[in-house]
Amino acid sequence: MAELTVDNLHLTYGTNPILKGVSMVLNRGEVVSLLGPSGSGKTTLLRAVGGLESPHKGKISIGEKVVFDGEKNLEVPAEDRNLGLVFQSYALWPHKTVADNVAFGLKLRKVSSADIATRVQKALDELSLGHLAQRYPHQLSGGQQQRVAIARALVYNPPVILMDEPLSNLDAKLREEARAWLRELIVEMQLSALVVTHDQAESMAMSDRILLLNNGVIEQQGTPQQMYDNPQTLFTADFMGSNNRLPGKVSQMQDGRALLEGPGWKLWGRSRDSTKSGADGTGMIRLERVKVANGPGENRIEPELTTSMFLGDKWEHVFHLGDTTLRAHTAGALQKGKHWLEIPRDDLWVF
Amino acid sequence: MATPAGALQRTASPLPAFATWRALTILVTATAVLGPLSLILYQSLLTAPFFDASKQLGFGAYDFIFRDPDFWKALRNSFLISTGMTIIAVPLGGLLAFVMERTDLPGKRWFEPFILVPSFVSPMVLSFGFVVAAGPVGFYTVWFQELFGVEQAPWGLYSITAMAVIAGLTHVPNVYVYATAALKNLGSDVEEAARVAGASPLRVALEVSLPLIMPSMLFSAVLVFFLGIELFGLPLVLGDPEGILVMATYLYKLTNKLGVPSYHLMAAVAVCIVAITFPLVLLQRRLLQGARKYATIKGKAGRMKELPLGKWAWPAAALLGLFVFVTVIVPISGIALRAFVTNWGFGVNLSEALTLESFRFVWHEPTHVRAIVNTVLIGVVGGALTVACYTAIGFANHRRNDGWTRFLDYLVLVPRAVPGLLAGLAFLWVFLFFPPLTPLRTTIFSVWLAYSVVWLAYGMRLISSSLMQVSPELEEAGRSVGATRGTISRQITLPLIRPGLLASWLLVFMIFEREYSTAVYLLAPGTEVIGAQLVSLWQGGAIDIVAALSLINIVLVGIGLGIALRFGVKLRD
Repeated sequence: MAELTVDNLHLTYGTNPILKGVSMVLNRGEVVSLLGPSGSGKTTLLRAVGGLESPHKGKISIGEKVVFDGEKNLEVPAEDRNLGLVFQSYALWPHKTVADNVAFGLKLRKVSSADIATRVQKALDELSLGHLAQRYPHQLSGGQQQRVAIARALVYNPPVILMDEPLSNLDAKLREEARAWLRELIVEMQLSALVVTHDQAESMAMSDRILLLNNGVIEQQGTPQQMYDNPQTLFTADFMGSNNRLPGKVSQMQDGRALLEGPGWKLWGRSRDSTKSGADGTGMIRLERVKVANGPGENRIEPELTTSMFLGDKWEHVFHLGDTTLRAHTAGALQKGKHWLEIPRDDLWVF
Repeated sequence: MATPAGALQRTASPLPAFATWRALTILVTATAVLGPLSLILYQSLLTAPFFDASKQLGFGAYDFIFRDPDFWKALRNSFLISTGMTIIAVPLGGLLAFVMERTDLPGKRWFEPFILVPSFVSPMVLSFGFVVAAGPVGFYTVWFQELFGVEQAPWGLYSITAMAVIAGLTHVPNVYVYATAALKNLGSDVEEAARVAGASPLRVALEVSLPLIMPSMLFSAVLVFFLGIELFGLPLVLGDPEGILVMATYLYKLTNKLGVPSYHLMAAVAVCIVAITFPLVLLQRRLLQGARKYATIKGKAGRMKELPLGKWAWPAAALLGLFVFVTVIVPISGIALRAFVTNWGFGVNLSEALTLESFRFVWHEPTHVRAIVNTVLIGVVGGALTVACYTAIGFANHRRNDGWTRFLDYLVLVPRAVPGLLAGLAFLWVFLFFPPLTPLRTTIFSVWLAYSVVWLAYGMRLISSSLMQVSPELEEAGRSVGATRGTISRQITLPLIRPGLLASWLLVFMIFEREYSTAVYLLAPGTEVIGAQLVSLWQGGAIDIVAALSLINIVLVGIGLGIALRFGVKLRD
């Protein structure tokens, strides 16, 4: 069942269009992340759902209840939407204790004070914050503040919880732990969550489905595996991972395959919807799919290794083939000079 | 080779010029501030006026006023009114600041000058406006009675409650300016978080935004309470019919209590007032520093987004509209009408009663014309001189951190604690006490000097905020190429703060147009200014002339306000 439905949403700042017709559905118990570069409109979409931005066209429903309808000029104010929102900055109220921060939403819902006390304590205990109830936000670490912000958004059981870059305010090290912890929490509590992030690894780790936004429209959506392994556009392919780009010309197409030709090389790859025979094309392959081969063969090229970097768990090598730069990973070190690289035909997308 | 080396040596040597000049500035300031005050203290310890041969040292004056039941009544009234107006002005000012600074109320920018008007119009004029607009036979009272066919309007102006309400309303701008400055530094995320949690805009204001600027609210509460103790024009006009006295009006009415000038009694009352106000000023200073610290802690707040009001736009607009109507439109339209009407009451048709009679009278009366000319002069020329003096003091303190800086910091605060009425009195005595100064007594110089000292703290805030905007690197760069402090001040800092000084001049102009109480005791042939003239005419009951002069005064302030708005001068910090 759809907890949240967004239909053809448009939003403009002055004359600058931010959202140009976005549609999406969030089902119960599902985590959807809004992914995209800065300026793509992902935060604006989240805020529009929360009632903090005013779209001018389209429709937003939470469960059965329509909260925005451009045609009917209907806009339910933020406070009447009953959503939970975790802010990027956490936005904890500095003059209220942790317990009062969490209790505020319940107080506004006219919950009896005895109930408030038990529910606040329960929410804090669930997030292992029980012992910090009487502290003020500035007395907490970044990770603790984040958990208070989540407790505050969850305590009144909103049907959907919105999270705006929930991990971006944490240190790099803490972020990975928090990511695992947050995914576990969401799954355990069976939350329906919409999460904004600009980090593709974070979005893949945390969500059941990803909506990739580009320039105010949804570029592609799907499960993390679909997004990573089967991108439909160059933008998606580029955004979802680390890639090698091979510019060339598409000379042949057959059975979902395309032959890409560059100066001195020919490679078969999978064609995409936009691929046209005879036109310029771009080959894309994930760094980790490029293999070092021991000699010439099908779909192999012979570039020159110029730089090698040790990354701890692997090596990264930079190759040059004419004007094109390629990068590849190996477990061990490589000698300088020419090497054969295999570009598996199933892993090369031709756009 | 010799010339550049010599030149360098000259500029690098510690020239005494700046130090001498600084010492002189500090000395003059200290004399202007402390001289009159010590004279008040001295006079309060005499048993008769200082020029009286029979004077003796003693506590007779204190003894007399402490036995006077009117003194205690006045003290009680002052505290009642101060408390009442604080209770009204602080929440209202906070809410208006929230609406103006944080919400998306359409057309709100248009309202801002109106909210600030009460702080630019003389309280004497505003109170008079309330009398002619909403007093027993005021325009709005009569219209209300005719419209609803009632015998009596459901309000009255001549009670302590009414005075507290009117004083509360007219002091809303004092809260407003500090609250908006603090709200500016607040990130909108905390408000949005409350919104999403289910809070209406009113709840957001009361539970999140205003509590977060508590230090500033507390500061303005103390400020308003303090201004309540100082009140003079308002209780003079509104308290008179029922004989309600507050501290300042008690002092004013003491003048001839014993039949002869009772300077010693007035001085004793003055010392009592300062004993109440000075601790309040020190408290304000502490609170203001606290508020600034708080603001910088909050400073990291991210982008600002106006809170959408939705259906709450109506109550917000109503609050704003009602405030502006009651506090600004009613009194000022009352004066504007009254100035063109010489007889007004029930059954008078307004369109038939309109006349220029009052203005003609003002025009033919030399003292009134002189009052107008003097008021313009003291604002324009006097204002410029005052800003020049304040700037000199500002430079004496600029980027210095020694004992003298702290001394000057406190020194400029001292006049803040002295209500204008007392300062005027003190300067009157200075001019009488020191024979060399006596010839200046009947010149406008006496009024200018008193004004400049009374507004020292306000003016120094304007100047130092301009000076603070000059980045220290610009001055350090000057020093590194070999300029002396004096040269840097004249050739680098001063040109850079010129726009700030012009803005200060304009603000000082408006303040000087508005000022009235300081000139009350200095009023003499030759020193007339509109403000003091109004007090004297009001005492004499010349309502028509008071209305005409009040309107002229409002127009003068309005011109200043218009120029300020035209050139985008910030009317608040």
